[in-house]
Amino acid sequence: MSTIEVRTEGRQAVVTGPPRLNMTAAPQLREVLAQTVAHGSPQIVVDLGGTTFVDSSGLGALVGGLKTARQAGGDLRLAAVSDQVMTVLTLTSLHRVLRPFPTVEDASREW
Amino acid sequence: MSGDYTLRGLSVPESLDQLHDLLQQVAEEHESVEATDLMLFETAVIEIAGNVVEHGRPHGNVAWTFDLAVLPDRLAAVLSDDGQAYDLDEEQMADGRWAMPEDTFAEDGRGLALASVALDELDYQRTGGINSWTMVRLRREVAQP
Repeated sequence: MSTIEVRTEGRQAVVTGPPRLNMTAAPQLREVLAQTVAHGSPQIVVDLGGTTFVDSSGLGALVGGLKTARQAGGDLRLAAVSDQVMTVLTLTSLHRVLRPFPTVEDASREW
Repeated sequence: MSGDYTLRGLSVPESLDQLHDLLQQVAEEHESVEATDLMLFETAVIEIAGNVVEHGRPHGNVAWTFDLAVLPDRLAAVLSDDGQAYDLDEEQMADGRWAMPEDTFAEDGRGLALASVALDELDYQRTGGINSWTMVRLRREVAQP
């Protein structure tokens, strides 16, 4: 059963992250992000409010989604990240390109 | 290493969830361990274990044993597996740690680097046909308010 949900509204989409974004969930997220951009919604907010853990394969899926979104004229932003996710983003310096916002609403403004 | 906690199984993706659950159990049974220490330790354990799942050969048929000890000054674990020896890229090492990829937009290559920075000691040994990853995180003092 999929734990990754997508809500689209025109060019914008909100993708809900899985509880643990590790190597079992990362390929599915990668596919969902690619499909979302391919269907015309390259402005993506990944809602990580329900994601307690991310590993390097999960980061890879997010970076892949970011590149795909930017190539289509959009961007990918993170919302509601947990302590573990924020720590991992900082340790890898990826917070500079995968911008975390407090809420989905904050992340959805001013594309 | 004999530890307080042991997990045995095959290095397949589903086993990662068992490791997550085991570390959750450690957190519940050792409330004195700082949440940040356990969180970083779990981050490293899953990276190393994920590395074994991805690169262990024969693929899907590598048996592993995970031992974890909660000691007064440290969290220590050894992940041992009976797969083939790993061909580690020593060029990615700097000051005893694995370096992050130079390309910010790289989609892989961060696993060992992330484990390195989350730990105080990360060591790989190949002895008698067994791969062993030793992981140590020294427990930080809690700042009193």
